[in-house]
Amino acid sequence: MLDMLVQFLAAMVATIAFSLLFGVPRHYYPLGGFIGAAGWVVYLLLDRNGFGATTSVLFATMLIMLLSRFFAVRCRCPVTVFLIAGIIPLVPGAGIYWSTYYLVTNQISLAAQSGFSALKTAVAIVLGIVIVFEFPQKWFRIGMKREDGTMRMM
Amino acid sequence: MDERERKLAVMELAMEAGQLLLENGAEISRVSETMQRICRHYGVESASFFTLTNGILASSGSDADPLYAKVSYIPVNSGRLDWVCAVNQLSREIESGCYTIVQAKEALRQIRRMPGKKTGSTIAASAIAVAAFSLMFGGSWADCLASAFAGLFTQIFVIYVSNRYLSRIVGKLAGGAFVTFVCLLLQNFGPGQNLSNMIISTLMVLIPGVSFVNGIRDIASSDYLSGAVRVLDALLGFACIAIGVAFCFMIYNRVFGGMIL
Repeated sequence: MLDMLVQFLAAMVATIAFSLLFGVPRHYYPLGGFIGAAGWVVYLLLDRNGFGATTSVLFATMLIMLLSRFFAVRCRCPVTVFLIAGIIPLVPGAGIYWSTYYLVTNQISLAAQSGFSALKTAVAIVLGIVIVFEFPQKWFRIGMKREDGTMRMM
Repeated sequence: MDERERKLAVMELAMEAGQLLLENGAEISRVSETMQRICRHYGVESASFFTLTNGILASSGSDADPLYAKVSYIPVNSGRLDWVCAVNQLSREIESGCYTIVQAKEALRQIRRMPGKKTGSTIAASAIAVAAFSLMFGGSWADCLASAFAGLFTQIFVIYVSNRYLSRIVGKLAGGAFVTFVCLLLQNFGPGQNLSNMIISTLMVLIPGVSFVNGIRDIASSDYLSGAVRVLDALLGFACIAIGVAFCFMIYNRVFGGMIL
């Protein structure tokens, strides 16, 4: 439990720091940090309960994308603001590293294995973003009063 | 201003807004839609735009509108998401009729003058981010401390060497090698315990996240051409980082012999 709290805080700090690197406006930091941390904790929880890395990344990405669209509609800002920094912890940096490492140390089958799992993770991120991207915009406007009639892309 | 000049000014305004969006990492559909909205609001019905990853083609011309054509090449700049947000907000306000054309142009100029992030805070942010990643990826507190230094040095390297003197590809190659080098140093002479954890965390600073996510979003909204280019850019980035890491490992092996770790 304490471990999860540390993980949540670490993910929050990392996401906020990355928001700064990408030039996200300052008042979106808390929300962005929360979205990134929520995605990371969901990934960890699923992964530790035997869902497998790919499935866990898929669901975590879907959650991040859902939350990003939800808050983007409410803050009237582009989804990108929350999405890019939030997704960074899930990017398969470890897979890339291990496949290179095994390649250099001449452990070819291990290299192929970790390279392939990095690819699977990347595909899971793509799928997660694409699936939630297809949800109609009005689902994300639930509970908002419609002051302007035009539907706008976020 | 007569009607003809006014409509030409609208096209120029739309182009400028589109350029600001595109060079700071907005999706293709957002760029096209924003330009289209500006033109429609100011009454240039025949305007049409074709947006690519690094260029915009614009034209207008009909019985009502003057002939206008422009091709502009737009190299991808640093991702300033605050500019994207500001242009997004501006286009909303234009649509609700708060701006004349001249005022809108001035507003765009104001956005370009928005202060950037300071070098110091960028470097501090990457040190903090890398330290946090180290904890997230299962490192000890010692690794966390060492990673903070690695992130600090890497960002300094990126700002003062990669961004200034190197192309994108060579920059990523050199970045990957530099990260590995710094982490090897920190492990051998510094507080670092777990080399892999430190390298993986520090590599996060180099990862082309903006191209990757935007490429996926472009493909999702059927802008296959631009999406493919962006995804390719990201994949090339990943590959170059990996090659840089491998290169440094190989040299280390040659010089010190035997296994790494």
